[in-house]
Amino acid sequence: MSDLTRGPNAGALVQAYRLRSGRRFLLVLGAVACLAALVIFDIITGPANLSFSRALQVILDPSIATPKEDVIIWKLRLPVALMAVLVGAMLGVAGAEMQTILNNPLADPFTLGLSSAASFGAALAIVLGWSVVPGVGGLFVTMNAFVFALGTSCALFLFTRMRGVSPEAMILVGIAMLFTFNALLAFLQYGASEMQLAQLIFWQLGSLSRATWEKVAICAGVLGVILPWFLHQSWALTALRMGEDKAAALGVNVGLLRLTVLGGVSLLAAVAVSFVGAIAFVGLVGPHIARMIVGEDQRGFLPLSALCGALILSGTSIASKAITPGIVYPIGMITSLIGIPFFILLILGQRKRHWQ
Amino acid sequence: MSLATRISGFLGALAASATLIVSATNAQAEALTFTDIAGREVTLQEMPDKIILGEGRMMYGITPLIEGNPFEKIVGWNNDLILYDPDGFRQFESVYPEDTARLINFGNPYAGDFSIEAVLESEADLVLLESGSLFKAEETGLMEKLGAAGVQVAFVDFRRNATENVVPSLLMLGRIFGEEKRAAEFIDFYISQMRKVTNIIDTIPAEERPLVVVENAAGWQVDFCCWSFGPYNYGRFVELAGGTNYASSLANAYSVTLSLEGIIEANPAHVVATGANWSEARPEVTSVLLGYDAETEPNEARIAALASRAGFADLEAVKAGNYHVIFHQFYNSPYHFVAIQQLAKWFHPDDFEDLDPWATFVELHERFLPFDAKGTFWMSAQAAD
Repeated sequence: MSDLTRGPNAGALVQAYRLRSGRRFLLVLGAVACLAALVIFDIITGPANLSFSRALQVILDPSIATPKEDVIIWKLRLPVALMAVLVGAMLGVAGAEMQTILNNPLADPFTLGLSSAASFGAALAIVLGWSVVPGVGGLFVTMNAFVFALGTSCALFLFTRMRGVSPEAMILVGIAMLFTFNALLAFLQYGASEMQLAQLIFWQLGSLSRATWEKVAICAGVLGVILPWFLHQSWALTALRMGEDKAAALGVNVGLLRLTVLGGVSLLAAVAVSFVGAIAFVGLVGPHIARMIVGEDQRGFLPLSALCGALILSGTSIASKAITPGIVYPIGMITSLIGIPFFILLILGQRKRHWQ
Repeated sequence: MSLATRISGFLGALAASATLIVSATNAQAEALTFTDIAGREVTLQEMPDKIILGEGRMMYGITPLIEGNPFEKIVGWNNDLILYDPDGFRQFESVYPEDTARLINFGNPYAGDFSIEAVLESEADLVLLESGSLFKAEETGLMEKLGAAGVQVAFVDFRRNATENVVPSLLMLGRIFGEEKRAAEFIDFYISQMRKVTNIIDTIPAEERPLVVVENAAGWQVDFCCWSFGPYNYGRFVELAGGTNYASSLANAYSVTLSLEGIIEANPAHVVATGANWSEARPEVTSVLLGYDAETEPNEARIAALASRAGFADLEAVKAGNYHVIFHQFYNSPYHFVAIQQLAKWFHPDDFEDLDPWATFVELHERFLPFDAKGTFWMSAQAAD
């Protein structure tokens, strides 16, 4: 306080700002380096024994690969490793911006019912064989999940338009959605046959093993459009975290910002969840880890949320292969175990409140 | 425990034994007590004549035991036979159209949505459940509720420990349906067919038993591979047929989810997928549609597509023509001896040159079933040239 009464020292402020920016940049760079290391580790590990140098050669020059190496590296490991990064990043970004626009630390695609809606859509396909969009063939489980997740976001959208955009109302409607879809899902589970139940539970717990290059491309496309756009909006989103009134005073159209960001978040979450299943932890905790490390400024918070999500899911991908080589474990039950120790450490290390 | 409760408990016990004595004297000679597959003692006051099947596919085990109409004492079932083996259902329908139309669909006790009221309304005296639903039946209180209404529950098993439990299950069914003699005949047939394989396999040393990957319900999930069995069911069939089941080496579980990379690395000598006519219930499946109505040409294309999926096409087993598909529903029926014979023939062609599994299948139908053998129940993909 005494600083303010003395008046700002412009030179010191500029220096402090530069220091903060530099630090932020280094943190993001460090996370990128960690992620790169994890992805490489993900690609060189698996039930088949391929050396690091051989894997690298096959990636750099696919023509030298034996058919077996070609399948293992190019068709199985690379899509899974990249899918883990992209889906983790999508969920991290989605969670970060949901928490921002709704001003609630518990908001994420899971708590707002998007994942439950996707699960219900998938269950309709698996148990009843219903396809919401006809003519998509074998992709109808994914398609149903996508349509339901997006539909739920639209319902959230419409509701908040109708009632005027109040974050509390949105959260409550989201929670209502969550319970509605969980109840409907339970109905379908109850009537499912043994094989349908196995398929449904496996879908819900999440799996990267369905990754294909097409899905990787779709995820990369969606993330490639929405993340830069969010970064472009980062000053307005940072302003929103200081409070609605202050943001409005700075010239932010709060209502419009909320709606458009919700639209982007919904698309991210719906695509991610429909491809890999309902993964609960990443979207909620990834952003909190980022916030504890770098603070609220979206220029650091947003990329780091994406990176934290990607790191958690990439680590999960490695762990899920390592438990019993040759057996696929659903990732949903591993993500939490991977992220929580780090999360707890951060909470214990943090003496100040990280959510203001 | 207070004195009062002790006395009332004692009185209760007295009353119960008095009832027992009275009912024992009143009971006909027909009263039936047996131990079911779950190890529970089941007592029926008289021979049951209104029976509900927790699984429609229990008809595979019941039909060969009954000389006449196998549906005579059955009031209802679950529609799994209609959904997952429509070919088999149509065989029953063609011989007993009135009975198949009459049967009530009670739903799936495995998922717990069995309607107790509907059971009571049908005046059933016995519900046969599959032992996999024991936990569910206990959890939902199904057995107590039915018991309180005088409906007994008995467990059979043709699925989980299929080869171990099939004979006790058949003996039990023989007593329930009053067909002990014919049950003994069928059990003799079962044992003799099983011994045709196991007697020879017993002499084959472990190192000559090829590594086999079982792909359970290949093509049921179009974008995912692979469900497999640990040392149960088809995993066990493979072992009895002289193969080494890959998933058994990874986990001692009924169901194991394998990674494709692990399969490629293991480099099995044979891949055995299961298939049935699921396309009527789930049009999107890419499975081979085996069964009584199986058509050769579309199935040739289907098995070729399964064998040429990325990762499979380059397996040595597939290149050598050792990608096989076999009828899925053998996994839940006493006819698994047919599957084990065919598996043995695939794994050890020289040792089983004279064994003819199709002849076994035909004999099963001629001696014990009310319809004839036809269709396709197994096939192998073409070897790569």
